[in-house]
Amino acid sequence: MKDSDVIVLEEPKLSLGDQFYIPQVLNGLGTTMKHMFRVLGGKDRVVQYPEEKREDLAIEKGGMLTRTYRGVHRLNKDEEGRVKCVACFMCSTACPARCIHIEADESPWADREKYPAKFDIDELRCIYCGMCEEACPVDAIELTHVYDIVGLTRQEMIFDKSKLLQVYDETVKNEPM
Amino acid sequence: MPKITVDGKVIEAKDRQMVLQACLDAGVALPQYCYHPGLSIPASCRICLVEVEGIPKLVPSCQTPVRDGMVVYSKSSKAIANQKAVMEYLLINHPLDCPVCDQAGECYLQDYSYEYGRSQSRFEEDKQKKPKKDVGENILLYNDRCIMCTRCVRFTREVSGTSELYVDGRGSKEEIDIFPGKPLNNKLASNVVDLCPVGALLDKDFLFKQRVWLLKQAPSISPVDAGGENIFLEYNEGIIYRIKPRYNAEVNTWWISDDTRYSYKAVHSENRLTKPMRTQYGTQVETDYAGAIEHADSALKELVKTNGAGSTYAMLSPMMANEEAYLLATYIRSIDPQAVLVLGPTPSSGADEVFKNPANGKVTFTIKAEKVPNAAGIRRVIEKLGGPKATFEDFTKAESAELKKLKGGWIVGGYLSAWLPTEVPALFKKGLRIVQDILPTSLSGSCDVLLPAAAWAEKDGSWENFAGKIQPFLAAVPPPDGARREGDVYYKLLGRTGMYNAEDVRGEMGEPFAQIPLPDLETLAPAPEFIEL
Ligand code: SF4
Ligand code: SF4
Ligand code: SF4
Ligand code: FES
Repeated sequence: MKDSDVIVLEEPKLSLGDQFYIPQVLNGLGTTMKHMFRVLGGKDRVVQYPEEKREDLAIEKGGMLTRTYRGVHRLNKDEEGRVKCVACFMCSTACPARCIHIEADESPWADREKYPAKFDIDELRCIYCGMCEEACPVDAIELTHVYDIVGLTRQEMIFDKSKLLQVYDETVKNEPM
Repeated sequence: MPKITVDGKVIEAKDRQMVLQACLDAGVALPQYCYHPGLSIPASCRICLVEVEGIPKLVPSCQTPVRDGMVVYSKSSKAIANQKAVMEYLLINHPLDCPVCDQAGECYLQDYSYEYGRSQSRFEEDKQKKPKKDVGENILLYNDRCIMCTRCVRFTREVSGTSELYVDGRGSKEEIDIFPGKPLNNKLASNVVDLCPVGALLDKDFLFKQRVWLLKQAPSISPVDAGGENIFLEYNEGIIYRIKPRYNAEVNTWWISDDTRYSYKAVHSENRLTKPMRTQYGTQVETDYAGAIEHADSALKELVKTNGAGSTYAMLSPMMANEEAYLLATYIRSIDPQAVLVLGPTPSSGADEVFKNPANGKVTFTIKAEKVPNAAGIRRVIEKLGGPKATFEDFTKAESAELKKLKGGWIVGGYLSAWLPTEVPALFKKGLRIVQDILPTSLSGSCDVLLPAAAWAEKDGSWENFAGKIQPFLAAVPPPDGARREGDVYYKLLGRTGMYNAEDVRGEMGEPFAQIPLPDLETLAPAPEFIEL
């Protein structure tokens, strides 16, 4: 690495007002107040999550389009219930966050050549851009409208093949292929 | 030298050269399937047809010799119509397999479809389905992807001289096949996989492992024999997935042997040594690397102090890079100026395997009998440094007065398979033995200090082939956790700062090592058959 490649960042200097920090706190409170009054005045709307959910609301009431929403992935199944993916790596190649990891293998079925032995998506690393879905030549990967996924560890948030197929089972009724 | 004009560009050709080759040499892209500079010219695929002024019909550029003042058009409407027609014809029965086809990304059919074809098919009938065949130990043939360029057939007839493949049937029933009970198993067989412009012939070893566009290339040299075949190590995220030939007109031309091709497996062997060891009270215990190096250093110094000069040796393995051998020899001579330098065992298969074209008797490829890559280089290094030296045979017998004095030394292995000779030298069983190796042997299990080392794919260096050609190679992947490159260990022992740098060491070693140019990936000439679109 050359010296010219190194960028030195300096900590910003605090002004006198910043150092006193009470004005800054009041400033912040002001923003909160502003929003509160906007809601009270009917200008803004608050969705009472989780009692109210955006997918249940009408668009003009702050709802969302479930067909186009880009939430957690699913791996689609074919008519025989087998994973549809042919392990072509198009999605992982297209992925700008590099969060799709596939291991391909010879498929156990006579009518198909290749299938994913492993298919992991790091849902924390994913930026939900939808490029994978765009790239897939067999419509095997899709983003669903499910956004409320939780996990206690990072490892739990790496969804493997079985979990992604499970997401399909859960969502296929509301969101057919 | 005849000059020809191609699409308005004047290029210089060699006498009797074909138009296509002249264009490729001058960097003018023309499509080609059946033409390969290393094989005979059948002019059967017809994608390369061009218009030549004065000739009413299109001519195959791969088979038309240049004539001074020739005017060639490859982008005239007639030529383009032909390219489109050939592409459409080839794709009539071609399956839509790209997502599962290993060739995708380096497929001529894909590239030319993009460049010269059309995006839609007008074919409405059912596509013909041809069977997938297991044609050899390492090779699969997907017949429905084949475009019948016959490169593979010509290779087995003209280069390997073994003629396992042939064309069966005619017209749309045409298929590549093997004769019953005669699989494609010769020692050059897997070259047909590289040759095949499409995904018809595929390597079982690489099948479905990676998509080719994910692979990066490091220029390297074959580790399996003294031939010095030029190769590319193709790797991704620290794992080598395959080896491909690198064109070198003077050494291996377009081909490599199958032994070379699959040699990378030893690099990722599960048995790789990764734990530095030292002997304490008669048993080996694990230690940290820095501790092991220090222990080796002090033990050697102690030995020389008690037994005087001429009591140590260094066995330089013919798997070592010249630079490493030089550094180790320099180090051991700095402790013991009379240290004996020994070249390690150089296994041989007896005789060179020579492949000939049966039609004209010309030698097409030779697999060297000496099964190590750098015996010549190590000999040169030992010669250059001067001082006491011994052959491995003498070292094994240890009869001369000079060798009888030896009390311990440094032994480097690094071979890709078992290397200890049946008659193990007495010195491998007694005295101080500091061992650097990559795979376990009885010696690595009993020595005083064990330093896990790096395989050739994990370090930079240079090797000299049987013909005295010194060729550099670059690292593709890092050594496994716990192993260290030999060069780094010697840098530490010699008290040098920084990391081992093969180029610096070569400069220090003087002629003829100093002036070897490094293969630069940017300027590395691609094999002439490769066309950049
Ligand atoms: S793009 Fe589709 S078929 Fe290809 S690997 Fe991704 S999910 Fe599978
Ligand atoms: S041979 Fe080429 S065009 Fe045919 S399926 Fe394979 S990658 Fe696609
Ligand atoms: S198998 Fe490949 S090399 Fe052989 S004829 Fe078919 S396309 Fe050509
Ligand atoms: S006919 Fe010229 S390359 Fe095939």
